[in-house]
Amino acid sequence: MEELFRLISDEYAAVIKSRLFLERLNEVRIINGAPVRVSYDGAYYFLTKSGLSKDGQAAFIAPLDEADRIVMRACSHSLYTVTDTLKRGFISVKGGLRLGVCGEGVMNDNALTAVKNFSSVNIRLPHEVKGFASNLFPKLVGIGIKNAIVISPPGAGKTTLLRDLCRLISNRGFCVLLCDEKYEIAACSNGAPTLDVGVCTDVISGVDKPKVFEMGIANMRPDVIITDELFPSDMESVARATTCGIAVIASVHAENIEQLRLKRDWRSVIEQGLFDSYVMLSAPPRRTVTVYEGVSL
Amino acid sequence: MTTKLLLLFLFMGMGTFCGYAVMLSMRRRYTYLNGVCKIIGDIKRNVAYRKDSLSGMLAGVDCESAQLKKNVEEFIQYVDGKADKPQFSRGFLPKDIYDKAVDLFTSIGKSDGPTQIEQLTVFEKDFSKLCAESKKKYTDLGGVAVKLGFLLGLGVGILIL
Repeated sequence: MEELFRLISDEYAAVIKSRLFLERLNEVRIINGAPVRVSYDGAYYFLTKSGLSKDGQAAFIAPLDEADRIVMRACSHSLYTVTDTLKRGFISVKGGLRLGVCGEGVMNDNALTAVKNFSSVNIRLPHEVKGFASNLFPKLVGIGIKNAIVISPPGAGKTTLLRDLCRLISNRGFCVLLCDEKYEIAACSNGAPTLDVGVCTDVISGVDKPKVFEMGIANMRPDVIITDELFPSDMESVARATTCGIAVIASVHAENIEQLRLKRDWRSVIEQGLFDSYVMLSAPPRRTVTVYEGVSL
Repeated sequence: MTTKLLLLFLFMGMGTFCGYAVMLSMRRRYTYLNGVCKIIGDIKRNVAYRKDSLSGMLAGVDCESAQLKKNVEEFIQYVDGKADKPQFSRGFLPKDIYDKAVDLFTSIGKSDGPTQIEQLTVFEKDFSKLCAESKKKYTDLGGVAVKLGFLLGLGVGILIL
């Protein structure tokens, strides 16, 4: 949380520290010239001097250069360190914070080469909840590990669930390869994870999934590869891993399984039986975990 | 007689000291500019390869020049968020070098890798030229300044006596 307070203005930080429970804070959203909002207990509120409000009239109004200042603080005034991730719309900050960034794109020959004039940021805070995956763990891990996909809408806690699952599997003694593309799961800083992902976990950060799968399968001899936000384009890598006897546990954005099945690419994945288990994580505040075995779909 | 000799030595000493001070100021300027050129090279290499953050990169820099060391610390304070605005002390720096140094420090970290390297290359060219000029001045005139100071002191001493 110290990282959050380093990024935002002192007056917002003072209110958050004094009026809110940090473990219930999920996001801080800042748009230049607009009221500051936070996601707290799964709902959005405006941030005011006295705390939270549904009325935007009394809210803090972000100055017109606030997004720019936050981005520069996030990258420690070293924009060249984050231009690759900025082009993908985010910056990762120590401690697992992820900033979604909006601004003006600079195009060159139809390719996005840079982002300038930042207009808004969404600071997403990680929450390490040990025990979140305790009920799920025995359903996926026995003598071996099942291939599983965690399905949920955004903000439900997929990353938190994956992190705890990774920790449990790793501490059981399995060799885990963690593909932490956006520095959210392990949130490595200077070569060490800042969040607990287990004692037998090898982490590759900031590298796209196909490359991680290729590097990991060839060199790290994992029992399981864990990654976040799988796309249909990643399926070839997943299939290669599973044929090598390596389990894969990943997540995907979808409202529910029915919605996932409606997507053509995912329907074929389900039909191929690439995953043994489908874990449905419902939206907050309930966050219930339901496991569907692949054959039943 | 003894007093006159003492006074003569005193003036010679003062003159030599003045010449030495002039030499030191030339050396100080050269050391600063040389240090800046080294820093630019280090930053360029780091931006091209490791892409470390500025504060981490500059914290390990070894500066012979005390003024440059101070400016680097002031810059690190700013990038670490301990200062709202970048403020650089001028010290002995002449205005043109000071303005250029401020331009350099305020431009670092505000663009992507390739653009940053291009900018640094331009600064490197400018500072290298200034450094070469100051080195020439120091090596050619530094010794001469000491000798002239000695002779001036001797001359003044003799005249007064």
